[in-house]
Amino acid sequence: MNCRHLETQLTPYLDGELIAEARVEFEAHLATCPTCPRHVEIERHNLSAIRDAARTGSPTAPPEFKAKLFENLARDSNRQRRAGVTRFAAVAAGVTFAIVIGHHEYRGHQRRLYEQDAAMRHARQFPLEIEQSPDAISRWFGGKLDHPVNLPRFPNATATGARLLQVRDKPAAYIRYESPPTRSAPHPMGLFVYGDDNDLDVGSEAEVGSSHGYNVVSWREGDVVYQLVTDLDEQDIRDLMPPGESAPTARPAIDVRPASLQR
Amino acid sequence: MFGLSKSNQSRGQFEALLTPWLDPLYASALRLTRNERNAEDLVQDTVMRAWRFFEKFEKGTNFRAWIFKILTNTFINSYRRNTRERSLQDESERQSVEARFFSAELTEQTQNPEEYLLNRVMSQDVLVAIDTLSIDFRMVVILADLQEFSYKEIAEILDIPVGTVMSRLFRGRKQLQKILVAREGIAPSGAIDLNEFRERKKLA
Repeated sequence: MNCRHLETQLTPYLDGELIAEARVEFEAHLATCPTCPRHVEIERHNLSAIRDAARTGSPTAPPEFKAKLFENLARDSNRQRRAGVTRFAAVAAGVTFAIVIGHHEYRGHQRRLYEQDAAMRHARQFPLEIEQSPDAISRWFGGKLDHPVNLPRFPNATATGARLLQVRDKPAAYIRYESPPTRSAPHPMGLFVYGDDNDLDVGSEAEVGSSHGYNVVSWREGDVVYQLVTDLDEQDIRDLMPPGESAPTARPAIDVRPASLQR
Repeated sequence: MFGLSKSNQSRGQFEALLTPWLDPLYASALRLTRNERNAEDLVQDTVMRAWRFFEKFEKGTNFRAWIFKILTNTFINSYRRNTRERSLQDESERQSVEARFFSAELTEQTQNPEEYLLNRVMSQDVLVAIDTLSIDFRMVVILADLQEFSYKEIAEILDIPVGTVMSRLFRGRKQLQKILVAREGIAPSGAIDLNEFRERKKLA
């Protein structure tokens, strides 16, 4: 072994990754070379200084984040478990009933698949194609999709940008809504607008699901389906809506549609 | 119908395996994404994905390597697209590992007098320096030096040959040192002059 050869083995040597034979050869050279030992010592020193500094300086995950993470995990698995129990009950109650429930669940399942994909795409923060006023965004969508894209208005949130996206291979308009930063809504919301060919299973009454740590509100307006991805909780979603004539307190699914879309 | 129902027991198992690695995952995600909000999103995505695929995880195998693989894949597939970072998959990567170690970069390195980094490099300086590495170097440095994975584990996590792990680590660390030495040179405490260092050693 010569000095240059030693250099090729230095990284694995310092990491303790050299096989025994190579290690013996490496150390034999070190024992006889006038210059390499110092070189190796410096490299060893620098490597451990860097490693120590990187490790001691690495931050830990914020406790609130961890709490939210486990909460999301519990919510996700509870929902899956509930679905399982309902199916079991349906089978026990009778075949006809089971078919109805099963079909109903399948339909809900379609909506959840879209919820999941929409939430994931929102989380990824794809670059926007336009970042302008709501009016300019409306104009920009003109003719780009087979369905009309009307931008709903939300109190305290303004459309600031948009792009085209595919959600489960379905072309969609994606509009980002931003609010002045507050405790309850730290992050932008994302609105997906789809043309519907009846495979989304979303009714005119808004329903709230959750995925990837977001709440996803789905509703339909004619042949157009909306999904709003937000980190607001359900109470805040209600508050997002102006106090309307149809206070939706008694209904299981809350009417969270923007005022402009409520009849 | 979809066979997705899982017992509380399996979530308990998952959480027990996951909990010790949440901080390391977060620390690594922060270096990958370079911002706290994205780091949280990346860890969240990683954990949810790992939970969905938990049935596919072979019990008793290396959970830490498994979840770090999900972390890096999630990062590469989604977050990286936005950051438009240049990949290192250029011709130099296709050369043999051996040839690369004898590159001009190395000759240059051996010609310059080497410098000791201060015994206590500032943590913040090191983390900032790691963040400036290009993504391929950054990933191996994070996995090797922050998380102490073996070459074999890193090769499996990133789906690259062990030789590539080694050469990226070699080059990544060289860059890191260069940045830190330059930084210390500017700082009032300064890099230690080699002769001065020797003198001090003699005295000690």
